[in-house]
Amino acid sequence: MPVSKTELKTRIIEALNLQDITPEQIEDEAPLFGTGLGLDSIDALELVVMLEKHYGIIIKGIEEGGPAFRSVQALADFIDARRASTT
Amino acid sequence: MPEPRVTFASFGAITAAGPDVSSLLAALRTNTSGLRANERFNSPRFQSNIVGAALRSSDDNPAYELANTALAEARKNLGALAIAPERIGFVLSTTKANIETLERLSDGRPCSERARRHLQPELLAEDLAFAHGARGPRQTISTACTSGTVALQQGAKLIQRGAADAVYVVGVDHLSAFVVAGFTALKAIDPVGSRPFDRERCGLSPGEAGAAIVLVRGDLAPAGIELIGWGSSNDANHMTGPSRDGSGLALAIRGALRTANLTATDIDYINVHGTGTPYNDAMEAAALRTIFGETCPPVSGQKGMLGHTLGAAGVVESIVCTLALREQFLPGTPRLSNIADGMPSSLVKEPCPTARLRHVLKLSTGFGGVNCALVLRHG
Amino acid sequence: MDKLVITASNIVNADDARTARLGTRFGRMDLMSQLALLAVEPFAPQFESIARERIAICLAARTSSLATDAEYWKGRDNTGGPSPTLFTYTLPSAALGEIAIRHRITGPPLCFVGSSEVLLPEAAELLRLREVDAAVCVSVNVVTPTLADWLALPNSASACAALLRTGDVAGRAVGEFDRDLEALCHYLGAQ
Repeated sequence: MPVSKTELKTRIIEALNLQDITPEQIEDEAPLFGTGLGLDSIDALELVVMLEKHYGIIIKGIEEGGPAFRSVQALADFIDARRASTT
Repeated sequence: MPEPRVTFASFGAITAAGPDVSSLLAALRTNTSGLRANERFNSPRFQSNIVGAALRSSDDNPAYELANTALAEARKNLGALAIAPERIGFVLSTTKANIETLERLSDGRPCSERARRHLQPELLAEDLAFAHGARGPRQTISTACTSGTVALQQGAKLIQRGAADAVYVVGVDHLSAFVVAGFTALKAIDPVGSRPFDRERCGLSPGEAGAAIVLVRGDLAPAGIELIGWGSSNDANHMTGPSRDGSGLALAIRGALRTANLTATDIDYINVHGTGTPYNDAMEAAALRTIFGETCPPVSGQKGMLGHTLGAAGVVESIVCTLALREQFLPGTPRLSNIADGMPSSLVKEPCPTARLRHVLKLSTGFGGVNCALVLRHG
Repeated sequence: MDKLVITASNIVNADDARTARLGTRFGRMDLMSQLALLAVEPFAPQFESIARERIAICLAARTSSLATDAEYWKGRDNTGGPSPTLFTYTLPSAALGEIAIRHRITGPPLCFVGSSEVLLPEAAELLRLREVDAAVCVSVNVVTPTLADWLALPNSASACAALLRTGDVAGRAVGEFDRDLEALCHYLGAQ
């Protein structure tokens, strides 16, 4: 079953302590870094921790997860692909 | 140059290169790295088990042991100086003091009252100062990885404004699961050991050290190495990522040159911070280009030998600069094989003798975007 | 030398931090950085008239970053490891960095651990030597119940801040015996 994007957004908000932002406000295709949510490299590492904790996905180097962090949609696709490859 | 002069009268260091300054000098002469696999960090929780350990084993108070060992050596080397205890200041540089205590308390493991005290940096400073008879003004500096160089600047200022005739500047941080797990979380550790300025570099190696320098008012000590310039700045850019253009560090270097009343062309050797992380080293290279253009004096850094010793780093590496000035040689950059693109072409890989070392620039940078630069002079 | 004056002062506590909103980064910071940042916030208009490289930030962290250290280390056994964000706040100077970033202040940073009694004299020294034209002085202390238990200290979560300037600006002159920033801020607040 594909990962729930609403749940993923909630996890992102929790992991990064994003104040006053609701899952509904984050668009699926909006960039997470730079513009958009304006996340930075430490946030990316925090998301790496979140992915392992909640989705059991281990990312060794940040480059490996690079394209996956482009948007919520990209991250959801990445999680689905990883899950498919391990089952 | 500011008056009165401030002399590095003596020093001591316990590092991954060995338990004293002579072992540090020997390692510098041979460019031998002290980084080793250490079974304490054999766990997937840590990115690497390769570290710069200085203590073979330790009790519950490694920070005190490291600092005390270094300061005892510095005082032994100092010889007789007629300075009253009330005129001896004390500046401690540390980021985590005895963080071992926090690990023990978190796990419910026992620790002594003394170790518990030394979880608080200023109490570690108080006990060290008391044990070594420094009853003058006391400061505890914690500006991340620039703490050591800032502490030397603070010590020099105490002497210059007449608040002390001598100052013990002590830098310390010990290897801990706390810090190694943190750098692992930041994916900032090079799995095979730090390779500053190398094409393949991908992170730092955690290290530990105790280092002490006794600063003495110039007219009370024999002529020697002097601390003549300091400058510090903030990138105001990002908590962990240094500014890409090195403008913050360049600002600190300009400040140090201004205090020393020198220009860039007076500098004979630069001892860099050189952690081995891609961004730090590139940022330093950019700052050096800004200040020195294409004619950069010889550059090297020793974190591939000693690891990143955090609060001790600025003090240990200032001792390296002092040894270079005293012995008239250029220290190398251990574990550097292929110089990465964009790095200064004047990087010194292997140590070599030199005849004309008079002014040395010491750089440090750290989390929070802090930068500090010092200028040392051979008397 | 020019007269040394305090042109603004402020005191904040944990309640202020809970309700404050200072941009998207704020929620990610540890309490110590939030307090320090809030304490300095009212000084922002004054920074506009001073070159940012001529402003020093001097911070005293009474109990270092130990409250955050304990919080970070609680996550040591988490799947995925401890939080990288929290690790970056396990340095007392993190609060100083946050102030610098928010206000684009690039002047000299000084961060002391322990009592704040060196803070005003060291800031005054920077001004006296004309290394800077202004110094942001902040004293912050966060002691959580865990830390209070470990170190036998009273619980605390507060920060106080003062802006020191030289020259022809209105404010309260700094006296030779002004040492305790917290007491001074209380006094100035009561004026």
